[in-house]
Amino acid sequence: MVVGNGHEAGAEVHPIELVLARLLRLGSLIAAALLTVGIALMTMGMTVLAPKLITAGLLVLLGTPVMRVVAASIIFTKERDWHFAFFSIVVLCAMAAGIYFGKGD
Amino acid sequence: MVITFILVFVLGILAGVVGAMLGLGGGIIIVPALTLGFNMPMRTAVAASTVCIIATSTGAAVAFLRDRLTNTRVAIWLEMGTATGALTGALLAGWVNQRLLFILFGVLLAYSAYNMFRTRKEEHKKEVTPDAISQRLRLKGSYYDKALGRRIDYQVSRTIPGLIIMYFSGAAAGLLGIGAGIFKVPAMDQVMGMPFKASSATSNFMIGVTAASGAVVYFARGDVKPLVAGPVVLGVLIGAILGARLMVHMKASKIRLFFMPILAYTAIEMIYKGVKWW
Repeated sequence: MVVGNGHEAGAEVHPIELVLARLLRLGSLIAAALLTVGIALMTMGMTVLAPKLITAGLLVLLGTPVMRVVAASIIFTKERDWHFAFFSIVVLCAMAAGIYFGKGD
Repeated sequence: MVITFILVFVLGILAGVVGAMLGLGGGIIIVPALTLGFNMPMRTAVAASTVCIIATSTGAAVAFLRDRLTNTRVAIWLEMGTATGALTGALLAGWVNQRLLFILFGVLLAYSAYNMFRTRKEEHKKEVTPDAISQRLRLKGSYYDKALGRRIDYQVSRTIPGLIIMYFSGAAAGLLGIGAGIFKVPAMDQVMGMPFKASSATSNFMIGVTAASGAVVYFARGDVKPLVAGPVVLGVLIGAILGARLMVHMKASKIRLFFMPILAYTAIEMIYKGVKWW
């Protein structure tokens, strides 16, 4: 496990961290691209399409933390790490219930 | 319109850098700036700020995860507390005395600011003895500190008190609309004995999840205005990526120096909010 100097040690990552980092990077890149294009079009006066693109970008961003918890629960289940698989599902349920009750009022 | 876009975008970058460095959502910058500086309605500002929390979390997490500053196991353990707490908070809103809560949480924050001031010189903590749950769930972590030039191995303790604090921090976020990260960093740093940088990165990782359900609700109500949220969120995203890179190279004692005034300010602001109607 422990190899070489500090820099190599810094780069050595657990699979779960790597997978989640990739997922979050993908989410933020797509969101940033949609937002940039949307804002650019807005300044050029395309007032119909631009807000839709911006909203799409915001929705992608909103989806990333949810996807992150889903991904974690899948990884932990695959690794048979039942404690953490269960914890992830508790988090997901609480999030879902929060959305459900939040919409109520 | 273009001028407003640019100003809001720059505001976003600033909030993103600060938020990513300190593990906070940046709401204490964005909400007053949008309401006071740009005359926007409170609902629009809070909704935009909630999406910004997600942007800070997502933008900064990539760098923190790669540097292993984020403790994902601790994050998921504590997210159970914040998520169920936020749910309780949302359900109880309107039933509890907000003034009392503001004062209570304000005093708690003031105490934690004092505690942080007392230990400001420490670059790393004394040996922490892990409790049974921490050992069983393998919550310990290690990362390479680029500012100190060496590897930091740490243990995590007081897992149950930590979880309980997270529950109340989640409830406070749901009830008072504040405290994305301001309770989380001291809870991990001072109660659970984690290194400050790991606490900040892990808090940063968690705030996105706490904010997500709130953000969905704001979206459904139509409070998220694309023309306001778009530029500020894009700015925050870029700011958070920059802030995370900066933070990785900073000494914990220096980051704490930035964190303390914000903690003290929030404490005073909350106590004031609780007292002013009397």
